[in-house]
Amino acid sequence: METSTRNTLCTIVLLAVLAVVLYIFEKHGTEYQIRILNNMAIFITLAVSYNLVNGFCGILHLGPNAFITIGAYTSALLTMSPAEKQLSFIIEPLIWPLSVIQVPFAVSLIAAGVTATIFAFLISFPVFRVRGDYLAIVTLGFGEVIRVLCNAMQSLTNGPLGLKGLTPYTTLWWSWGVAVFTVMVITKLVNSSYGRAMKAIREDETAAKAMGVDPFRHLLLAFLISAFFSGVAGGLLAHLITTISPTLFTFFLTFNLLIIIVVGGLGSTSGAVIAAALFAWGGEALRVVESPMNLGFVTLPGIPGMRMVLFSIILMVVILFARRGIMGRSELSWNRVFAALRLQTKA
Amino acid sequence: MQQIINGISLGSLYALVAIGYTMVYGILRLINFAHGDLLMVAAYAAIYAVTLLSLPWQISFPLVMVLTGLFGVLLDRVAYKPLRDAPRISLLISAIGASFLLENLAIVLIGGVPKGFPRPEAFATVIDLWGLRIQVLTVYTPILTLVLLMGLLYIVHRTKVGKAMRAASKDFETTRLMGINLDRIIAVTFFLGSSLAAAGGIMWAMKYPQVNPFMGVIPGLKAFIAAVLGGIGNIVGAVVGGFVLGLGEILIVALFPQMAQYRDAFAFTVLILVLLFRPTGIMGEPMTDKT
Amino acid sequence: MSDFFRLDNLGMQFGGLTAVKDFSIAIDPGELVGLIGPNGAGKTTVFNMITGFLTPTFGKVLWQGRDITGWPPHTITAQGIARTFQNIRLFADMTVLENVMVSFHHTLRSRFWKAMLGLPSHKREERRIETEARDFLEELHLGHLADEKAGSLPYGQQRRLEIARALAARPKLLLLDEPAAGMNPQETMELARLVREIRDRHRLTIFLIEHDMKFVMGLCERIKVLDYGITIAEGTPAEIQRHPDVIKAYLGEPKHA
Repeated sequence: METSTRNTLCTIVLLAVLAVVLYIFEKHGTEYQIRILNNMAIFITLAVSYNLVNGFCGILHLGPNAFITIGAYTSALLTMSPAEKQLSFIIEPLIWPLSVIQVPFAVSLIAAGVTATIFAFLISFPVFRVRGDYLAIVTLGFGEVIRVLCNAMQSLTNGPLGLKGLTPYTTLWWSWGVAVFTVMVITKLVNSSYGRAMKAIREDETAAKAMGVDPFRHLLLAFLISAFFSGVAGGLLAHLITTISPTLFTFFLTFNLLIIIVVGGLGSTSGAVIAAALFAWGGEALRVVESPMNLGFVTLPGIPGMRMVLFSIILMVVILFARRGIMGRSELSWNRVFAALRLQTKA
Repeated sequence: MQQIINGISLGSLYALVAIGYTMVYGILRLINFAHGDLLMVAAYAAIYAVTLLSLPWQISFPLVMVLTGLFGVLLDRVAYKPLRDAPRISLLISAIGASFLLENLAIVLIGGVPKGFPRPEAFATVIDLWGLRIQVLTVYTPILTLVLLMGLLYIVHRTKVGKAMRAASKDFETTRLMGINLDRIIAVTFFLGSSLAAAGGIMWAMKYPQVNPFMGVIPGLKAFIAAVLGGIGNIVGAVVGGFVLGLGEILIVALFPQMAQYRDAFAFTVLILVLLFRPTGIMGEPMTDKT
Repeated sequence: MSDFFRLDNLGMQFGGLTAVKDFSIAIDPGELVGLIGPNGAGKTTVFNMITGFLTPTFGKVLWQGRDITGWPPHTITAQGIARTFQNIRLFADMTVLENVMVSFHHTLRSRFWKAMLGLPSHKREERRIETEARDFLEELHLGHLADEKAGSLPYGQQRRLEIARALAARPKLLLLDEPAAGMNPQETMELARLVREIRDRHRLTIFLIEHDMKFVMGLCERIKVLDYGITIAEGTPAEIQRHPDVIKAYLGEPKHA
């Protein structure tokens, strides 16, 4: 059997297994388990798309929370019925035409992705004019700006009150469907000429330019794609927690994603998947995402801080002693699995 | 007029913190994300010094400055020194990790509930200046800032250590090769920057007497923006940037009260504009790229 | 006057320092031209100006009748000028094959979404790129190292990979910046032969910088000499070797075996 055919077959089998597992959990799993699985899928989507920029392009982008927020709000505003909106927007009515629009969940997800991408495009010019630390701070700042805007623009986002009572459209099928799609699409991109171009930029931008690679165009591409999936994930998240507010998607979330991709291995999609799954399963993310406790201007992340202390320590330890993370820059592929199992294939 | 004074006062707080950022960046090319949290560390330390140890503020405040300075050195030793030769992204991640660690450690050890800061009477009095009633603290702050700044400039320009610092910020590798003890210079840099941040933290806590583990985050970010605005790596630039930012923030809110909610966004907008149009800042030199 | 490649009074000033002054040259298709001079004479600066890494303070770069002065490097490469670097700038963490494949990227016809969806048209292009990349590796005797990490190669092979990579960008004009640096006499001789072969096989024009006199004199048809940014001599190898100013500028012997 040809290697590529074997690989494709294996992937199909794996997806089938996944489908069966999801089916079983959906029918017989506890709410707790389902929630963890949903979070896992969403974090996989987020981590893999975040890794595209930070891992493969070698850029420190600290603003994914902005795009998640944008996606969440876009999706939420589009799926709420006009009646629900009227009930929610008690201080200031929602602007037209959002006040009358209502679309199906799938459409809202796409809109979420597209909107996030548009914002990413708008900010890309100042962002990519600089590198390194400046880029980090600008993207961080953008995250903050979005938070401030969401807090302030009552007529658009309902301000600090946020949006409540969203229909929990997000099922295991949606979250994992998106996750699988994201992983496949990004893996294909990374294994293509475009992926090589991005890695080249990461390795040596000067040399990449000399070989005909336009850094801006490719960084922009990665950034926009990442924003798109972050936006979609935001929409999924919104309809999972069913309540969103500006304080939900702070730099804290970015920090979590950063931990995930660093621990998984910057520059490895499979690493990001593994780490995201571990993270979600650790239960931590679950609670953060589920119950942000708001004490005035301090957001307590679930258990009084100890968890985050541990996470911070994990991040520090990884970055100081095991910089490459779990997978380093290598990927888990069928070829490696078979090589490890020492199964023979006919050429 | 009152607002101008407020703006200058706020600006000097930003300036104090911005100096630390800019000094560390100048030598290590690192944005010390944890720098803003030193504000918080200093504020809490001051609280404990005054309440638990019952030290009068004249002693505890300078003591806290020294302690925070040392803490800054420790921070470098633990989080940054092992990564001296690592890619920059690792350093940045370490800095973020350190920042979060400090914040969450504070939550665990002290609790997330805001604490009150014991403001000494001397700073709380309201005086009459040019027909305006101002807290005396608001006036002391810029004055103290300038005094500290003078002291720092003296050290940087008139002492051997300062000269070494300037050399290191111009050309790190060469300074290293010349046998100058780079570690000591870096330690001094962190010490000075951190103690200045501590001064800022204490005065901030006196101005806004509610102390919580995350208090350093936003001021820290703004101070960094101030440093960028003034020209990162340039001490005087950091001060200038601080004042411009502080003044700007207060005046915008004063002149356009409906924008009060966007106050924080102002700083970030400034950042984006600066990076778009003049990335080297007000006082910076143009950067040349070597191929 | 050549319409192929011309530099008109190229000059570069950094603040108060004049790195290059009044550099002019016309190169015809197929020529093998050398640029020599003591260290710091400004040779790489000239290359940087040609390839868009520096915008000249004065003068023009004219390529195939177009003024490409100050164009971004990746565009200039797409226009047909490729280069190697004085300090090796390989993509260290990528394999040897991948390094070469990057140079094909600007010729890619399928858009990114075709790549993302794994469409057959994209897969075909990928296969084509890989085959052609392997051909270049073979040509530079690196075929057997295709899957090695570029950073793990010994020095001489890294230099050859740099050349392979630049070749793969399909230039009409190839700029080589000290390709023989750090090579022993044997390797240098082989490299000279290789360069000539490449020029003939791919019908290239080559403009190179080098310190190794034997290499330059034996290979180049025409040589220009730079000292402190100023052209002090120009001519055939024989003329240059006898030129008093050149000898004075170097104050050194050509490298002997």
